[in-house]
Amino acid sequence: MQVYLPIAEMSVDALLLLGIGFGVGWLSGLFGVGGGFLLTPLLILIGIPSAVAVGSGANQTLGASVSGLMAQWRRGNVDLRMGVVLLIGGFIGSAAGVQLFAWLRRAGQVDLAVAIFYVVVLGTVGALMVRESVGAILRRNKARPARLHEHLWIHGLPFKMRFRKSRLYISVIPPLLIGVAIGVLSAVMGVGGGFMLVPAMIYLLGMPTSVVIGTSLFQVVFVTANVTFLQAVQVGSVDIVLTLLLLAGGVVGAQFGAQMGTRLRGEETRALLGALVLAVAGALLWDLLSVPGQLFVIGPAP
Amino acid sequence: MSARAALLLLAALLLAAPAALAQPGATPSLSAELSTRRIEVSTAFTGGEILVFGATDRLIGGAGDEIVVLATGPRTSLVVRQKIEVLGFWINGPSARFNGIPSYWALASTRPVELMFAPLARSELRLGLDLLPLPQIGDPGPQFRRALRELKQRQGLWVDQLRPIEVSGGRLFHARLPVPSTVATGTYRVEVMLVRDGRVVARQDLALDVERVGSAARIADVAQGLPVLYALACILLAAFAGWLGSVLFRRG
Repeated sequence: MQVYLPIAEMSVDALLLLGIGFGVGWLSGLFGVGGGFLLTPLLILIGIPSAVAVGSGANQTLGASVSGLMAQWRRGNVDLRMGVVLLIGGFIGSAAGVQLFAWLRRAGQVDLAVAIFYVVVLGTVGALMVRESVGAILRRNKARPARLHEHLWIHGLPFKMRFRKSRLYISVIPPLLIGVAIGVLSAVMGVGGGFMLVPAMIYLLGMPTSVVIGTSLFQVVFVTANVTFLQAVQVGSVDIVLTLLLLAGGVVGAQFGAQMGTRLRGEETRALLGALVLAVAGALLWDLLSVPGQLFVIGPAP
Repeated sequence: MSARAALLLLAALLLAAPAALAQPGATPSLSAELSTRRIEVSTAFTGGEILVFGATDRLIGGAGDEIVVLATGPRTSLVVRQKIEVLGFWINGPSARFNGIPSYWALASTRPVELMFAPLARSELRLGLDLLPLPQIGDPGPQFRRALRELKQRQGLWVDQLRPIEVSGGRLFHARLPVPSTVATGTYRVEVMLVRDGRVVARQDLALDVERVGSAARIADVAQGLPVLYALACILLAAFAGWLGSVLFRRG
């Protein structure tokens, strides 16, 4: 069944979109991440223009993360103060990111920039995840002395603030910078950034894992809302029909994925997720390096 | 006028028409029409076609008259970019901009136009994709113009005599011009030409509108006209759909 996407100005098989939504939702339920990093490249692969894929991808991630945030909020797993600091950074970063995106679009380099961002970010994150989780699987039987969190030099910067829920008394500069970085990536890649934010919160800020998921969802929901807003207003590239079709498949898939996720062990899940992230990065890198089938492309004049 | 009088008038016209058509030496007559004056782009739109039909007074084909149909869509500007290899990566390199080119262009004829016209006459009429003027800004390389023609044809937006005009009964003709789902909205011009001995002896200009209708039209209109409202609606709708879905499909 074909459906016409009014903003992308093309017709796509609705079942294909529902299927992609379901598949990405299933994986995101399984791994507990938004899945935007899989969604945007898949949309580009089936021929959706990069700009629309990024704008609608952010919009879809927003919808997919809302219910998770509400569940975490009810359980009291959101560090509101940390969330707000991250969010201030996130707003600055996503506003700058959308400007960067609009500039790249005028320069005709959106496709390349999106692909390079994906290869670099996913390649790095995937490699770190695989290394960390394989190490954890190998060390599984050796118990280590537990510490609340590591004290890093970045925690000693000025403007210290107390984050009660995270049991931290650290400078606001590192969470602000993390927020800015994730905001930029969110705007350019159309992702929520949960898969980067969660490790950053654990390893860089030293937040306890109990509040990490809830707080990252808080940041993801509001930053993707900001990206959706700015992309829709400045670039005009958010296709609500596309978003809703993806969400319809996604919310169903997420429930199945979450159910299956409970049967997997943490390290194995992280290793699998890392491998998946690396595979996406590899596929995009291959696209950049292989000789294109079409040596010319046409696009709308800016 | 009573219904009976109208019927009588109609009958008189029908009787008179063939006589008028058959008159030798009169201006060659051509009457053509479109099956629809409006192509509606709805959320279920998967492409369509422009159906042009009509009749002539003399026999079409053989050594007789010939028909050419040319459809052009609203003008647009496009950029063609060439991919180049930089440090092993394929990136968008030099580009050329084409202003005021037809977003849609389709030509159909009873016989290939190359055989119908002398080269000079054909280029004056600009019948043929190779004769379409494509003013180029930026990189002057001829490869961009070639690529533009090839890519637009691959998208199905420029159609160069893919299917000949079909003739039935010697005088009735119809042409089907395919319109893909990526077609631009706006007013389309369809020129129907009657060709005799390599010259256009009669022509008729028709127009049709390609319009977005229904929810596709409303969404596109709101997104363009009220972007702030549209952006807020996208945020709220996505959030609501996500919440609703998780409530409906919660398992366990």
